Amino acid sequence: MNIFKLVARNITRRKGRFIFTLLGITVGMASFVALLSLGGNMRGEMTKQAGSLGAQLIITPKNWCAYDQISILTGNSLPESLQQEVLDDVSAIEGITAVPYLTLGTSVNNQSVLLTGILPQEMKDFKGWEVEQGEWFSSQDERAVVLGSGIADPFELSVGDTVTIRGETLPVKAILQETGGNDDTSLYMPLSVAQELYEVEGFVSYLAAQVDDMSKMEEYEAAILGVANVAITSDKQLLSTVLSMLGSVNLTLQMIAMVSLIAAAFGIINTMMTAITERRREIGIMRAIGGNGNSIFKIFLIESGLYGLLGGIAGVALGLLASFFIAPMISESDFAAFLKGAEFEASFDPTLMGLSILFSIIISIGSGFYPAWRAAKLTPVEAITHE
Amino acid sequence: MSNAIIKTQGLEKTYSKSKVKTHALRGVDLEIPKGSFSCIVGPSGHGKSTLMQLLGGLDRPTKGTVFVGGTDISKLNDKQLSNLRGERIGFVFQFFNLLQNLTALENIQMAMMFQKASKEAQWERAFELLDLVGLADKAEAKPCELSGGQQQRVSIARSLANDPDILLMDEPTGNLDSKSEAEVLKHIFNIHKAGKTVSIVTHNNELAQRAELLFEIRDGKLKS
Repeated sequence: MNIFKLVARNITRRKGRFIFTLLGITVGMASFVALLSLGGNMRGEMTKQAGSLGAQLIITPKNWCAYDQISILTGNSLPESLQQEVLDDVSAIEGITAVPYLTLGTSVNNQSVLLTGILPQEMKDFKGWEVEQGEWFSSQDERAVVLGSGIADPFELSVGDTVTIRGETLPVKAILQETGGNDDTSLYMPLSVAQELYEVEGFVSYLAAQVDDMSKMEEYEAAILGVANVAITSDKQLLSTVLSMLGSVNLTLQMIAMVSLIAAAFGIINTMMTAITERRREIGIMRAIGGNGNSIFKIFLIESGLYGLLGGIAGVALGLLASFFIAPMISESDFAAFLKGAEFEASFDPTLMGLSILFSIIISIGSGFYPAWRAAKLTPVEAITHE
Repeated sequence: MSNAIIKTQGLEKTYSKSKVKTHALRGVDLEIPKGSFSCIVGPSGHGKSTLMQLLGGLDRPTKGTVFVGGTDISKLNDKQLSNLRGERIGFVFQFFNLLQNLTALENIQMAMMFQKASKEAQWERAFELLDLVGLADKAEAKPCELSGGQQQRVSIARSLANDPDILLMDEPTGNLDSKSEAEVLKHIFNIHKAGKTVSIVTHNNELAQRAELLFEIRDGKLKS
């Protein structure tokens, strides 16, 4: 006989209560882990998108809010509120190469998709894109579309097919090689054609710029501001803004998960307090035959810690399972329009999972502290004479 | 008596519940010699069980002292007192007080667990004791699968687990039929013959008559 065997016997004595208390901590941990796992992936995805942007400076209209900035990374349509002349002014500055983006929403085969108006040659050079199938635009105003690598399969399109945008039927000229970023999930057409179809001639959404000398960033920014009334964000600032917003969202989600964990902790306290009342006489017996307050404290603390261990393992497993099922659903929700990346997947980090189980044990031991202390404080005679 | 293993001086116990005070013991002086067989008798509610709880260190006196083997146990802290109970005193209660979710064997082992006995030592000693009380074949039985007499025999075996000097018993046969009572008493007498100090709180006149020493408690006092 040892304390662990005794605890195992005690904990499974009231199977219903054991299971429901365990479910409390399991569900709490599962929601915690699911949100942690999804949140971790969002950060990774945004960082990847910032990398694939291929630009050091983003030039946007002055009145853009953080939501618009996020949309640059998440690949959503943006208002066409920057005058195209700005492109010429910025491109005229020595050491800066800029390309315009006109990001618009359209639908193909009844599915919504992003349509990006680009300057074909400049963009290809800027991004270093390679064509997988077909041929790149032959002129700056060719009435055709090129597909990102992730578009062809889901939309059942291949080179030579046609798509209808704003009533005009356009051929699919090429499919790009996979880039691993948002570029894979857009349809591309020459800027002038997009402007004409959407009746936004003379306007673009934003400009992305590369600089020749990274050490002169401040000078470039000053030069741009000298020629245009715009806002400038560096790719790093953009990422940091997005990550900080994402951090707030994550924090909120984790707070919600914490509430369920706190509820579970109270469930453990309640179970342990009930157990102590029920087993008061047994505590007295153990005290009479030589168990000291410390031993009693240990027995009850291990018992509540065991809830944390078992609930933590089950919660982590359930949370990961849930996050793998939830991830695709989030990708299709409005929430995803705000936060999604090219591929929204749950991530598995063994260290994080280990820490989550440890966290669960700590919460459970913390919850068991007061009940265990109460049990240990019982004098042998008051426990043994309890009816 | 110089060979007293238990000795009390001016022992008092008062219970306070709200503003009502109940004087359970009002100055008890007694000595129990080592290796003796004594009984504590008296009407119900006159302080017999309280006296036994104080002798065994299950409770602390309001006033006065209890010496066990020369040690003033009222000065011991919780850990020391628990150790004393575990090592030197064995308890047997009227209602057996076995842990219902443990087997007969495990109930005995538990007493040794608190004294940090090894798994092997626990196993060996628990079987030896079950054999002593004639229940070796019931080692894996839970208390609910045993008769009252059998449960009390397991309880006696448990009280001997750490080979204590003193056995304190509170109405050990009070809840048994006559056949079981005879069986249990046989084991109690055998334990005494083996050299243990046995002190029993009882209403059983037959048992009391066989005691070497008889303490009668009335109104919280020892009747001389």
